[in-house]
Amino acid sequence: MAMDLTDKKTKIIIFYLLTLLGAVLFAYGIFFHFTNISPQQKDDPAVRTASEPALIKEVSIGGVARDTSGKLRQTYTGKPPQFCPT
Amino acid sequence: MVAMVKKTWISNLARRASGGLVARLLPWRTWIQTAFLLVWLDPLGLRLHNMCGPVFHCYACPLATFACPIGVIAQFAAIGIFPFVTVGFLVVIGAVFGSLICGWVCPFGLLQDLTAKVPTPKLELPKWTGHLRYVVLIGTVLAIPYFFGEGHRLFICRVCPAGALEKAVPDMAQQAIAGQQIAWPNALKLTILALFLIAIFFTKRPWCRVLCPLGAIFSLFNRISAFFIRFKADKCTNCLECHKFCEYNIEPEKSSNDLRCIRCLECTECRFDALTAATFVLRRKSLGQAKQNGGG
Repeated sequence: MAMDLTDKKTKIIIFYLLTLLGAVLFAYGIFFHFTNISPQQKDDPAVRTASEPALIKEVSIGGVARDTSGKLRQTYTGKPPQFCPT
Repeated sequence: MVAMVKKTWISNLARRASGGLVARLLPWRTWIQTAFLLVWLDPLGLRLHNMCGPVFHCYACPLATFACPIGVIAQFAAIGIFPFVTVGFLVVIGAVFGSLICGWVCPFGLLQDLTAKVPTPKLELPKWTGHLRYVVLIGTVLAIPYFFGEGHRLFICRVCPAGALEKAVPDMAQQAIAGQQIAWPNALKLTILALFLIAIFFTKRPWCRVLCPLGAIFSLFNRISAFFIRFKADKCTNCLECHKFCEYNIEPEKSSNDLRCIRCLECTECRFDALTAATFVLRRKSLGQAKQNGGG
């Protein structure tokens, strides 16, 4: 059955559902979503865990990439690059 | 009929005199967009790149407070991780405002609005070009990064004119002034930037209307967002004046919350109050009539 988007009640329900969905996704990403990042040197076993906001900052400077083994790996050692490579 | 038109005119004059919120803000739209630059251009040097802003503004730009949501989605697609924070943020912003962000807040939109004021002949774009935004979103922001990684030449950041304009060109200028060897960006990026810079003088908001993937996301919310443009058929006199107000070739009386609408709200200038800015969150009939109806 097609939803009538001109109906005010339907619109309000969809709005609240979307807002709730967005808020849940946002909160989950902020508080519960973590990713393991391997250091640039392949022989270095130290893996660090980054929260999603930290990962956003990393991707904004091109600081992480998937390597051939599928691991998420840092693209630099020491001081992070200032800007993304693109 | 004449009496009705007269009554509507009087009502409209009263509305303007009493200063409905949107009616009062509308003449200041460019200034409001400009004021938002204080948020996006990072005057305090905060560089909050852990979070996305809701606008199209390259995070490589030294003057960027937040990360670009499109850049983040594309980069996350490239590393195969779902961007919960960014998607959640865009869903909330889209559900509340829809494309209002494009019309009133986005700095890239402001640039195009300003250049559109240059008195050059303006070309009308065919309606179907509006669908290209979804192709850009699905292709260069989601599919290409996911399947080919960020090294692909059609990865959004590698072709984005915002990145070229805000980072690549200033970098090249800086290198030229310092007498260093210039690091040229790829030819495709420069070509797109050149085409963009030409197009903004000859058509209104070409990027927003034809290619912007962020605008494509927000447009999907236009029909259900809390903030919307209300069309009252009983007040419409079919004068088609709204067609003249709308610079984006939309017929507001047929589709007031069209996917192509950037919500500049110019159509709410309707003399007969057939088109008004409204919301169902605040308990008001219309933002444009808040005061007329007693406010609050």
